[in-house]
Amino acid sequence: MATEATTDDHPRVAASRTRRSGKWRVTSGLLATPLVWLIVFFVIPVVLVGLYSVGALTLLRNDVFLSLEKWRFFFTSDTYVSLFWKSVRMSLGVSITSVLLAYPVAYLLALIAGRRKYTLLLVIIVPFLTSYLLRVLAWRVILGEQGVVNSFLQTVGLVDQPVEWLFYSQFAIYAVLAYVWVPFVALPIFVSLESLDEHLLEASSDLGASRLHTFRTVTLPLSIPGVVAGFIFVFIPTIGEYITPQLVGGPGGFMFGSAIQSQFTMGLNWQFGSAMAMFLIFAVAVLLAIFGRFLNVRSVAE
Amino acid sequence: MGQFDSVMRNEQTRRRFLRSMAVAGGMGVLAACRKDVQSGGGGPASASAIPPITQETGELKVHEWAGYEAKWLWRDYAKAGYPDPEFSFLTNTEGAIAKTAGGFEWDLTHPEIGYIQDYYDLDAIQPWDTSLISNFPKLNPVLSEAGKLNGEQYQIVLDWGYSGVIIRTDEVDPSINSYSYLFDDELAGRISWFDTPWILSMAHVTLGLSSDPLDATPEDLQTAKEYCIEATKNLHSIWVDYTQMWDDVTQGNIWAAYSWPDTYVVLKEDVPVQYVKPKEGVFTWAEGLILRSDTENYHHAHEYADAWADVTVGQRLVSTWGYGHSNLDIDLSQIDPDVVEVFGLEDPEGSLNSGILDAYQPQRTEYNLAWDEVKAAAG
Repeated sequence: MATEATTDDHPRVAASRTRRSGKWRVTSGLLATPLVWLIVFFVIPVVLVGLYSVGALTLLRNDVFLSLEKWRFFFTSDTYVSLFWKSVRMSLGVSITSVLLAYPVAYLLALIAGRRKYTLLLVIIVPFLTSYLLRVLAWRVILGEQGVVNSFLQTVGLVDQPVEWLFYSQFAIYAVLAYVWVPFVALPIFVSLESLDEHLLEASSDLGASRLHTFRTVTLPLSIPGVVAGFIFVFIPTIGEYITPQLVGGPGGFMFGSAIQSQFTMGLNWQFGSAMAMFLIFAVAVLLAIFGRFLNVRSVAE
Repeated sequence: MGQFDSVMRNEQTRRRFLRSMAVAGGMGVLAACRKDVQSGGGGPASASAIPPITQETGELKVHEWAGYEAKWLWRDYAKAGYPDPEFSFLTNTEGAIAKTAGGFEWDLTHPEIGYIQDYYDLDAIQPWDTSLISNFPKLNPVLSEAGKLNGEQYQIVLDWGYSGVIIRTDEVDPSINSYSYLFDDELAGRISWFDTPWILSMAHVTLGLSSDPLDATPEDLQTAKEYCIEATKNLHSIWVDYTQMWDDVTQGNIWAAYSWPDTYVVLKEDVPVQYVKPKEGVFTWAEGLILRSDTENYHHAHEYADAWADVTVGQRLVSTWGYGHSNLDIDLSQIDPDVVEVFGLEDPEGSLNSGILDAYQPQRTEYNLAWDEVKAAAG
């Protein structure tokens, strides 16, 4: 009997093994490309920058072999630590502003626009097919001292002189960066709102909830995954941002990212630039972990 | 040099470490990063070791500023029938130095004179044989002298210009004639700096400090930095986009800005501007060609530099771009008298001698850190 059973089971076990092995091959095949991509274009560069920051790699004349001097200098420097917090504040401000601006857009597209939603989505995305720099510089035409807004305000007599804080200011940095990032935030929120089960909204309404109450207790909590994703989409890249602040921020446009860039270019001080870049990577990871805990990302993901 | 010496003393340790890294991690790229980096400068190539021009490949690799690949700048080289050079472009000299240290290959590149020492320290360059450059005797001796290291001609200095101040004469008194325009409380909100540590040096000369403005004592650098930090309240902007600054000057948003003379050439017809070469002595940049130490196109490179040094190139560079050229045979009658005056072309040697010519900055790191502090304070 045992022999018969073994004989009967054998093809099934073999088939199961074959299936499992086939599945594994497909899974590893699918994983291989992004994994190789990540290793080549993320892990290795980050490791190289990390090694460079401690002098395990040296390239330039002033590089010091195996030294934590640049790290020590960074942590004892008021200038660069202050710049880091300045960038964090800017990034938080821009991320929150972008989410607040993007949410109504995503809501409109997902729940109100009906069958025109994809056309409207395209309309929102179209300006982003042009150059980033062009879009940023176009704001000069809008917010500059001789720009559209100032000309209008002067024409209607609301102001005598151009409003100077509109451009080359912190306001300009926030406005332009929020403009740049709103579509990227709107997309994940749109996706989470679009996948809402409409029966839940109907049930809420049937149970007598007002539209505002339904939004607060059903729609908003269920769209939080999109909000968190959108927030992170903005927060990570803007914390190291330096081009836009330099172009529109005026004298106050010098950020932590600018300091890193400055050390890699005119400073010719790659080790210090690497130390600051590595610190930024660590800091972003820590801040994301804190946000994750605060915003309960795990439950959101589930 | 202390840090550099210490790095070089550790050469063997570092190489061993890099080798083990490469083996352990399969990261041969790390070892490649060290290619060509040795101590000391390249010596003159031995005449017997240099093959004649007919035996060279003629595939000249030129690492240039964008725009400098224009054929009129090397017209005679092209007319001689040599193959067109292969151009790659640099956006800043510091980046070009780093790429060179990493093994990037070129036969010729075009840095400012303040950076020749960096290439020399990388053993990346060799001296020119000026006897092979027919136009060399016509070049401005003040600039050629600046292209020398240890008595040898490591750079053929070709183009130059001032880093002065452009002012709106309808708003600013031109008779002050000083770098103080860039710090003046009277011009609050109408001043624009360029993103360069040279602003510290301009503050240094404005304050009349005694040390070398490009190599100040720590006390003078501190004083200049504090003066700049105090003056940030007067800033309209720190320009990074040249044309944006031109627009702001044209529209009257800026009354005084750090600028090069071409700003004046471009704007003088449309707005009341004056290019100020301050009484403290105008800061002057200059740049030119340097020759790779292991070039396989030694003679072609000399021919190319000779073409660049030609008077016709200089004539056009001065009249159309508003840049200076070191050839002294330029026909001034063919050039806008305003440009002749701004550049002091009637007496170019005297003009250069009365200014503050760019030079290697041994304290570059200190200057850059101080400059970062100034910019951070502006926020």
